[in-house]
Amino acid sequence: MDKRIFGALGALAITLAACGGTATTSASGSPNATSTAAKPDVKVGVVISLTGVGNVYGPTQKNGVELAAQRINDAGGVSGAKLVLVIDDDQSTTDGGVTAFRKQTSQDRVVAILGPTLSNTAVAAHPVAQSAQTPVIAISNTGDGIVGKCDWGTCDYIFRASLGESTAIPQTVSIAKSKLNVKSVVLMYAQDDKFSSDGFAIFKKNLTSSGITIKKEIAFSKTDVDLSGPVTAALAESPDAIVDSSLAGPAIQVLKEVNKRKPGMLVIGGNGFNTPAIIASAGAAAEGAVSGAAWYLGNPDPVNKDFVTAYKAKYNADPDQFAAQAYSAVYILLDALKRTPTVTSVLHDKLRDQIELTTGVKTPLGEFSFNASHDVTQKVYVVQIKNGQFTLIN
Amino acid sequence: MADQIYNAVFIGSIYALFALGFTLVFSVLDILNLAHPALFTLGAFTALFAMQQGVPAALAVLVAFVVCGAAGVILDRVAFAPLRRRNAPPLSAMISSIGVSLILIRLIQLQYGPDLQAYPAGALPAAVFSVGGLELDTLRTVIIGLAIGLMLALTYLVRSTRLGRELRALAENPRAARLLGIDVDRAIAATFFLSAGLGGIAGALYGFATNSPFSQMGQSFELKAFSVMIVGGMGSIPGAVLGAYLLSFGEIASLTFLPSELRDAFAFGLLFVVLLVRPRGILGQRDVDRV
Repeated sequence: MDKRIFGALGALAITLAACGGTATTSASGSPNATSTAAKPDVKVGVVISLTGVGNVYGPTQKNGVELAAQRINDAGGVSGAKLVLVIDDDQSTTDGGVTAFRKQTSQDRVVAILGPTLSNTAVAAHPVAQSAQTPVIAISNTGDGIVGKCDWGTCDYIFRASLGESTAIPQTVSIAKSKLNVKSVVLMYAQDDKFSSDGFAIFKKNLTSSGITIKKEIAFSKTDVDLSGPVTAALAESPDAIVDSSLAGPAIQVLKEVNKRKPGMLVIGGNGFNTPAIIASAGAAAEGAVSGAAWYLGNPDPVNKDFVTAYKAKYNADPDQFAAQAYSAVYILLDALKRTPTVTSVLHDKLRDQIELTTGVKTPLGEFSFNASHDVTQKVYVVQIKNGQFTLIN
Repeated sequence: MADQIYNAVFIGSIYALFALGFTLVFSVLDILNLAHPALFTLGAFTALFAMQQGVPAALAVLVAFVVCGAAGVILDRVAFAPLRRRNAPPLSAMISSIGVSLILIRLIQLQYGPDLQAYPAGALPAAVFSVGGLELDTLRTVIIGLAIGLMLALTYLVRSTRLGRELRALAENPRAARLLGIDVDRAIAATFFLSAGLGGIAGALYGFATNSPFSQMGQSFELKAFSVMIVGGMGSIPGAVLGAYLLSFGEIASLTFLPSELRDAFAFGLLFVVLLVRPRGILGQRDVDRV
């Protein structure tokens, strides 16, 4: 191990001397091959849910990080060193997450970890990285208490690159009021799902404070096989809009039922709406649906267009928000790694300092920075589905 | 109000179709086939695969029936027959079916991933028609009709055909059935074919109704179908159908008249009350009279 560290230091010194201290991005190709081979790999841990309930998200996260790593290596790696991903499945469980974090910090000695997929796994696994002083970037945790003030103790090695619902929903509500002229709503949510009921609470607070009347609250279950009943009950109140805080599956049913009974009725949702599956499955019924997102497929920003094209070429499918956030996190980490004096496991504290300084990194999410409490600073995209595409309306 | 009754009939029909396959295997063989939700999912994905090849929806349902029926027979050969030969207790068969279920779901995920899928655009009827001010859509109405038709057909098959008599004989006493010259293996295969085939049709139809089939779609039905089966009377086919409609009407009624948070508590509470009054279920009979 010591030999490798000295090797890395030596190699880095040579690169620094050669480049005059600036990070270079060489075109993909052979001139770099020798120097790449000379440097030890930069190992980045990725802990995601590839099996269990979280496997709706894990696989596209895997696609996102793998695409990023491939493109970074094609473009010369981390200042010449190869970026190697160590991907472990947390099985969507807290135990699985803790085990994977222990393995990656003590055995693989990764420079940083991205993940885990689910918030409750994150709360259990992040302390492992904190005590090993290994930086973490959370790529899909939207709940509270993930960064900044953590319930489990000091969490100054933990960062978050996934926009929380408490930031996105207020923007959605404000656009609904100012642009879409919504004065009354019926609020629907799955009461046995944490994501849905958290979103419900945030919607309720913001709707009330902005003076929009909530005519009725309708709870359903995430295991419901059909939502025609709840939707019929919601429409009976004749609101200006239906607000549905649920994941994509129920959201599709809500959109279809609403469209059948009252075409043109405005439906507003949370993060659960931000997936191509909504448009593919609900079809014309998805037209007009509004939600606040960290990312949207049709964003004409060149960095995003480039990402979408590359993703489509590699996986033959459109990326989703989880893929975009995972992909972005690798580039955010790369930005910090390039500025870090050395990138082996001994200098985790230096890497952490550099991640803290992340400002204006160009990602598919837009310009990305971390704020003082290690949380996301980025634009919130309030989008509406028009002609089968997510279209920006704010 | 009429709207909500229509909704309740639709949901009840889907519950019933799912529960029928569950009930059929239990009534004949005394085993809980926990792979039924996986076969249901297989039905939705078989229809999806067929329609992606250009097969029309109606034919795709038939394909789902045949493929799932065959999968059911294989399931029996692989997971249940070896245990039956060694007189394993029913619990072993249940565990074995969980194993098959996990494998089947994983195979579907390997092919289609865990995400929501959609049937080819325009392949499903989307028309909405109005009857006396009530907005009905073609697809759901067809599904209700088909579900009721299938339930009647299954009841007829069990009550009035030669195969039905064989199944009933098998349910009463496998050994006696064999002594009477009934081809027990063939009867068991038929049971699994029908049960899994019905599950496959239910999966395809439910997939059509939501247009978002996904690999875990069968799971939400498991608990409900199980409850419906017990309330209807373990192993009673008309009982399962009655139980299914009771649950769906209970759900819709509580949604209309009570705060929605209490819906499941009310609907399942209703089932509980039924069991208090009739511990063997609505149409539950003594063991020997099953099917």
